[in-house]
Amino acid sequence: MTEQDEPVAERDILAQATAAGLGKAVDEFPQDVLAAAQAARQARQSLCAPDDSTAEPWPPMRASTPP
Amino acid sequence: MAADARVDSAVNDLHWLTAQEIAAAYAARRLSPVELVRALLARIDKLNPLLGAFIRVDAEAALDAARVSEAEIAAGRSRGPLHGVPVAVKDIIDVAGQATTCHSRIMLDHVAARDATVIARLRAAGAIIIGKLALHEFAIGGPSFDLPFPPARNPWNPLHHPGGSSSGAGAALAAGLVPLALGTDTGGSVRNPAGACGVVGLKPTYGTVSRHGVFPLAFTLDHVGPMARSTGDAAVLLDVIAGYDPLDPGSVDGGARQYSADLARGLRGLRIGFVRGFHERDIEADPEVIRALDEVARVLTCEGAELREVALPPLQDFFGAQRVIMASESWAVHARWLRARPGDYGASSRRRLMAGAFLSAGDYIEAQQRRHELIAAVAQASREVDVLLVANAMDTPCRIDDPDTIARTYSRQARNVFSLTGQPALALMCGLSSQGLPLSVQLAARAHDETTLLRVGAAYERATQWPQRHPALPTDAPVKPA
Repeated sequence: MTEQDEPVAERDILAQATAAGLGKAVDEFPQDVLAAAQAARQARQSLCAPDDSTAEPWPPMRASTPP
Repeated sequence: MAADARVDSAVNDLHWLTAQEIAAAYAARRLSPVELVRALLARIDKLNPLLGAFIRVDAEAALDAARVSEAEIAAGRSRGPLHGVPVAVKDIIDVAGQATTCHSRIMLDHVAARDATVIARLRAAGAIIIGKLALHEFAIGGPSFDLPFPPARNPWNPLHHPGGSSSGAGAALAAGLVPLALGTDTGGSVRNPAGACGVVGLKPTYGTVSRHGVFPLAFTLDHVGPMARSTGDAAVLLDVIAGYDPLDPGSVDGGARQYSADLARGLRGLRIGFVRGFHERDIEADPEVIRALDEVARVLTCEGAELREVALPPLQDFFGAQRVIMASESWAVHARWLRARPGDYGASSRRRLMAGAFLSAGDYIEAQQRRHELIAAVAQASREVDVLLVANAMDTPCRIDDPDTIARTYSRQARNVFSLTGQPALALMCGLSSQGLPLSVQLAARAHDETTLLRVGAAYERATQWPQRHPALPTDAPVKPA
């Protein structure tokens, strides 16, 4: 990434946040918006792709049935 | 020391009695609910300015309930082992007529119209609701100093944080302000403060305890869990609060059971799976933590358990799925307020809760698919053992005024593995560090096998007596943090 790219990326992130309805947060807390975007990016990068993308994900939580 | 002897020697230390000891003392007419509640209220008055454990203490209602309990017990109308026993509640759980603030400006005016199911169960069992406990804002943002209430502090050293997000529960129990507490656990929020404060925290199997009337953080990860100063007390509390609730869509109808049934059985015949990889391979734990975990393994073996090594998928794999699910679901809960009132959140919550705005529906589905694969992988790797022995935190709690170290160390843990799989996990004190701060171990069992999990915890406590260790706290006059 070049030095010129970074502000563009930040503008994109803030635009994405505005599109998500976070315009007020963009105006008042832009650094928090950028930090949130970075946290989301890190979370997505640390997510291992499932072995089977056709596996049924519902119900999303099912500890095994009680004995 | 036997419970009766402890009660006899604790005339001036009522605050250290366990719920089981309190019940025995009531039955023997050596203690009354009013006497106990008055003693605890006086101790809260002295220590809460230092520790910030309670957001709200309902002294009059607690004393009224104590008088009712006293009359009922005197008349021989016992309602069970929690009759007349004070319980404090994380302020994310509804108590009728009181604000459920979630430790946030957003919720300061939100007065609960009715009791959460867990509170209704406690009241039916005769327990006394003594007050609402501090937490990390909305169970995610903290410890923070930009919220309407101060953060709770660690009784073992008030300059250090008490873990979270059920921070007030950990602090109140460790300081002897209350014998029992209710916390909630989405990514480890019962087990983290239990470990940091040297008390007991149980995340039951997903669906075992109703979440109706509990403010959500992430629907498919949220649990309500008992916290106490002994495994036996946690079991007795679980006996009361567990059970099917049609008002909670995640509730499991498993029939009535007594989780405290096997506390005295010992460990002979049980197989313990030691998961070294988390703290030796995936995240290198503090050497004191590693030594303490090895010592737990040795003690459990000496008590008759068979020890085996178990390898699970890397911690980072669990973290990835858990973070995407939690961020996505919590964004769904908070989006309307983050859009309209971002300034009413603390900075920590605001940053964490907005993350979900940058994740897609596809990310969320992938995380849930990966979650199912991880659940299956843990079940497969654990099929030859009864209970897993796992690290809790990889470090002892750092100073509460050191946000950089907090940010670096908070994710150095192995708790969200079981938030993701939904199986029960128990945090226990297993030592003191060279700095005098608690060390903690985590035990986990198969889904719905809390009885075996609690059996192991109780045996470990009998062998080590860690529940008898308490922090030294100033009690002569009200004190405030430096």
